[in-house]
Amino acid sequence: MNCNQFNYSTTRRDMLRACACGFGQVALSAITGRHALAAAPNRALKPSTPNIPHLNPRAKRIIFLFMWGGPSHVDLFDPKKHLNENAGKQLSGKDVGSDREKLGEILGSPFQFAQHGESGIWMSELFPNLARHADKLCVVRSIHTEGQAHGEALLRLHTGQANLVRPSVGAWVSYGLGCENENLPAFITISPPRGHGGVQNYGNAFLPALHQGTSIGSAEIPISKAVIHNLVNSRLNASLQRSQLDLIQSLNQKHLRNAKVDQGIEGLIDSYELAFRMQSTMPQIMNLDNEPKKTLDLYGVGSEPTDNFARQCLLARKFAERGVRYIQVSTDYTWDHHQKVKQGHIDESAKVDQPIAGLLEDLDQRGLLEDTLVLWGGEFGRTPMVENGDGRNHHPQAFTMWLAGGGVRGGLTYGTTDDFGYHPVEHPVHMHDLHATLLYSLGLDHKQLTFRHAGRDFRLTDVYGEVVHDILA
Amino acid sequence: MIKANSETPVKQNSPTPSLQQKPATSDSDKDHWAFRPLLHRRPEIDSDWPRSPIDDFVLARLQSAGIQPAQPAGDRNLIRRIYFQLTGLPPTPQQVNSFREDDHPDAIQQVVDRLLNSPQFGERWGRHWLDLARYADSNGLDENFLFREAWRYRNWVIDAFNGNIPFDRFMLEQIAGDLLPFESMDQRDRQRIAAGFLVVGPKVLLGNNTNNQRMEIADEQIDTIGRAVLGLTLGCARCHDHKFDPIPTVDYYALAGILTSTQVMEQRYMLGQQRVMEQLIGLGPQGDELDRSYEKYWTDLPQIKASKKRAVSALEFLKKGETDALTTLLEKNADALSEEAKDTERSLEQRIEFQNALIARLEKIIATPPVIPPRAMVPTDVDSPADESIRKAGQFDRKGEKVPRGFLKVVSHDTDGMIAEGTSGRLELGHWLTDVENGAGQLTARVLVNRIWHHLIGRGLVKTVDNFGRMGETPSHPGLLDYLARELIESGWSIKSMVRRIVLTRTFTMATMHDETAHEIDPENRLLWRAHRRRLDPEALRDSMLAAAGKLDLAPMESTVWYLGDQATAVGNNKNRRRTDFPCRSVYLPVIRNDLPELFQVFDFANPHTTTGARPRTTAATQGLFILNDEMIMDLAVATAQRHWITDGSDGNIFRLDRLFELILNNHPTEEERAELLSFISNTEKRLIDEGDTDPTLRAWSIACHAMFSLSRFQFLE
Repeated sequence: MNCNQFNYSTTRRDMLRACACGFGQVALSAITGRHALAAAPNRALKPSTPNIPHLNPRAKRIIFLFMWGGPSHVDLFDPKKHLNENAGKQLSGKDVGSDREKLGEILGSPFQFAQHGESGIWMSELFPNLARHADKLCVVRSIHTEGQAHGEALLRLHTGQANLVRPSVGAWVSYGLGCENENLPAFITISPPRGHGGVQNYGNAFLPALHQGTSIGSAEIPISKAVIHNLVNSRLNASLQRSQLDLIQSLNQKHLRNAKVDQGIEGLIDSYELAFRMQSTMPQIMNLDNEPKKTLDLYGVGSEPTDNFARQCLLARKFAERGVRYIQVSTDYTWDHHQKVKQGHIDESAKVDQPIAGLLEDLDQRGLLEDTLVLWGGEFGRTPMVENGDGRNHHPQAFTMWLAGGGVRGGLTYGTTDDFGYHPVEHPVHMHDLHATLLYSLGLDHKQLTFRHAGRDFRLTDVYGEVVHDILA
Repeated sequence: MIKANSETPVKQNSPTPSLQQKPATSDSDKDHWAFRPLLHRRPEIDSDWPRSPIDDFVLARLQSAGIQPAQPAGDRNLIRRIYFQLTGLPPTPQQVNSFREDDHPDAIQQVVDRLLNSPQFGERWGRHWLDLARYADSNGLDENFLFREAWRYRNWVIDAFNGNIPFDRFMLEQIAGDLLPFESMDQRDRQRIAAGFLVVGPKVLLGNNTNNQRMEIADEQIDTIGRAVLGLTLGCARCHDHKFDPIPTVDYYALAGILTSTQVMEQRYMLGQQRVMEQLIGLGPQGDELDRSYEKYWTDLPQIKASKKRAVSALEFLKKGETDALTTLLEKNADALSEEAKDTERSLEQRIEFQNALIARLEKIIATPPVIPPRAMVPTDVDSPADESIRKAGQFDRKGEKVPRGFLKVVSHDTDGMIAEGTSGRLELGHWLTDVENGAGQLTARVLVNRIWHHLIGRGLVKTVDNFGRMGETPSHPGLLDYLARELIESGWSIKSMVRRIVLTRTFTMATMHDETAHEIDPENRLLWRAHRRRLDPEALRDSMLAAAGKLDLAPMESTVWYLGDQATAVGNNKNRRRTDFPCRSVYLPVIRNDLPELFQVFDFANPHTTTGARPRTTAATQGLFILNDEMIMDLAVATAQRHWITDGSDGNIFRLDRLFELILNNHPTEEERAELLSFISNTEKRLIDEGDTDPTLRAWSIACHAMFSLSRFQFLE
């Protein structure tokens, strides 16, 4: 399609018809001819309805299942017999292409690995439910990033950079695609981490504020107790609030009539209307009471240890169904096993295995999986070497993430690490490459999705990133 | 040469030959408007509209475009505008009335002068600088450690604006306050606190290579100084010659040498380990000593805890008579048993008693950490200041040629070799920034007056307030910009006098009135045919609601983060969160990076990780949700209704409504508005009675006050 077919809108109201989940400035501005929107808040661009990406999109939305703390790739998806064979011996730097002579004592994996599905994807025994969906997964074993500490690694995972404040992946997606549902934001993050970059991990940075992720709760609060801030008025019932809002809007309209032309006042009027609509839409979605028992059971809602993550995954499906573009689901800060990596991984996997499998199955049954890309992973992997006797340290040099649905080649294992899982040796995929690929799957060219800020065009991948075409169908 | 100055020892150094061969910047580079000398020309105007030379410039552009300037703003709108712009607070109804009744020709001047001299001026205008200084009470980025002492810098800025410290001195103290001579301990400390400007930036703390961290910190400082003071994006030149502006990589590393010769980090013991943290220096006469003994306590604490554990074991052995075990323990740790308890001449009971006393002593030390001494975030020069090497592609470990420390060539004359040996060069940098003859002074003056214009008028003459380079916009009124810059310099860099000058123009006092013809010609109002209508920023929004409710405490605050732990945002077991329930002015609320108060987050507060000259202006549903549902706003609405309930109980609804309307909106309602509000109130009251509400009248009025807070007329300045 011709991506230059865009018109200026004269009023915010016009634009809202196309996209009411936000306004002020709308997506694709950079792509559609580099209008310096940031500096010209009065001039809103209206994409021809709806926002259509400029490449052939494979997916319409992304669900990112974030395992905060760093799951161990060598205990989950990247079996290394060398670890068990050499357990207790020193890992020598030269065996894995590292400058350092001694890297530490090797720790074998306590878990059994087996191949699953027709494609024979290798997984450890910790994900028995997910194993049933092996043929849907594209397991990328050669992800690498920077950041030896959680904070830096989280920021790189979520925003591509750590020493500068950059928009998060979801904010870029919101900016690039806009929203499908006029009553919901385009980017929602369920139970996000408060630490390790916190808000910055779903922030809009210099992108317009409407692209910031809307957060529901935070990682340390059970999702059943989570709320969206200011979504409910604690003192006025809906009809009383409506009459108050009618008064406000009537007086605001008078102000606007006096002003004759003012997009600021118009924007304010619209923000109240949308807020009021969101107040009824969001709680309906977040209420799981009316879900059929079959669905609840599928995810593991109501049983332990799955209840919390199951609720998060089910919510993610409901948001996906209603057109939210980027949904992140996060665990608490529970995957960081410097000690007792065995018990830790048994416990944490048990919390998420069934919910994730349930999500994949549910999306599939509803026909949503074909245009929903599901991404799983942490901020880094864990060392092949032991720490504190029975734990593993942080390892950004190589780790595994998997993708499913949304135009991804299921049943594929991509990339290889060395015999010890220390470095990628074949098809390395840097975090920037992953980001480029995620955008590409949504029909966005990471080199063209830019925003003019402080005299420069910025993009998610900075000056890096190659789309990994091999993992896309 | 730079202005002669006793604090600037000057040494002649010849630059290295290789760098002399090719001039880094050429004459054509200097031909960009922002780098040219300030112009001196005034338009010829034949009209009685102008009240000042500023108006001449504005009217000249309007006339050449065939546009008429708008009528003057009405009294009520004007006084509200002046109060908010100068103090961030609304006028009281009494202040509005006395202004309206004052028919002296200098009535406006009187008000302006009074407000410029009120402490609220510094709280409003200091915050504008804090946006540029990326001020925050925590580190942000990867590890959000608390900046417990940052508030001292915040309050220094506020005081500096109130004291009208000339901007050249203001900058010098922020760049090199720790190096300046002083006449009193108090002056020394104030100057040190000012230099905290260099320290409050965000830094990647954990797992960062020390050399890399040093370059990253210098980069952050260069970026901040570049954009905030010079309106230039210098950061680009870290990896390559600037693509658009005449800033070669050598210039970047010339500046980097100054900043890497400056220390802003130190080793401190915190949260159970030795860490590299922002540098703190003790204040007051015993500052160093108190700081040292405080730090020593935490460094020693793990050992004291271990000693206590051993003393407890020793006690057990003693009690149980396990002599062998005790001997083994004492062989390794003689201090496990108190000297008195070692004395076998004494009775066992006595020995146990002495040992209990030892344990009690240790427990007391553990339980009573010393009070945190007064300290500030302060830079110092490193022991051996040195030139920096160019880093290829900006990578810290790919060293290239060494560059002598210095400044941007494109705005310098004869500054080679002026940095004194054995010093970082910060003093010279501090002077260079505002040196009108040989340094960046003329550019700095342009950038600063444009910022003042931006805040007062609503849009900069150069719209890209942080970018005066080629990628920025050109000025709408170049002559006016240069005129203002000259006036600023001639006034001795006085910000107050520049603010005063602009506020007293006709340009400032125009109405916001729409005009179809002018709008056709100039839809963005670049030529200033009317005043820009502006939304209140979150601070003014909150403060004016507090004021209406009679709840605003105007006393300045010191720290508002004292109750927070070393982790400023909740992580792991730390559930302690910043508070926003102080009744103080919003400028004193905690600015925790990545955890701003919701109101700030929602209403486009500056991102405190980076220099913000122009806050974004967005409209989003979250703003609507906040205004409609936030508990604080509803509480303030109740308090507003209640307050006026008590004072005028018997005068009837019309009177009461008019008072509330005036209090909140600085205006009278029209007949129509009054009728609409009163009918809403009586209908609401009826509904509440039907619902069995116990206080339906007050509640109905509170809901109406909440509605008035929600009005565009409240949230916008006409």
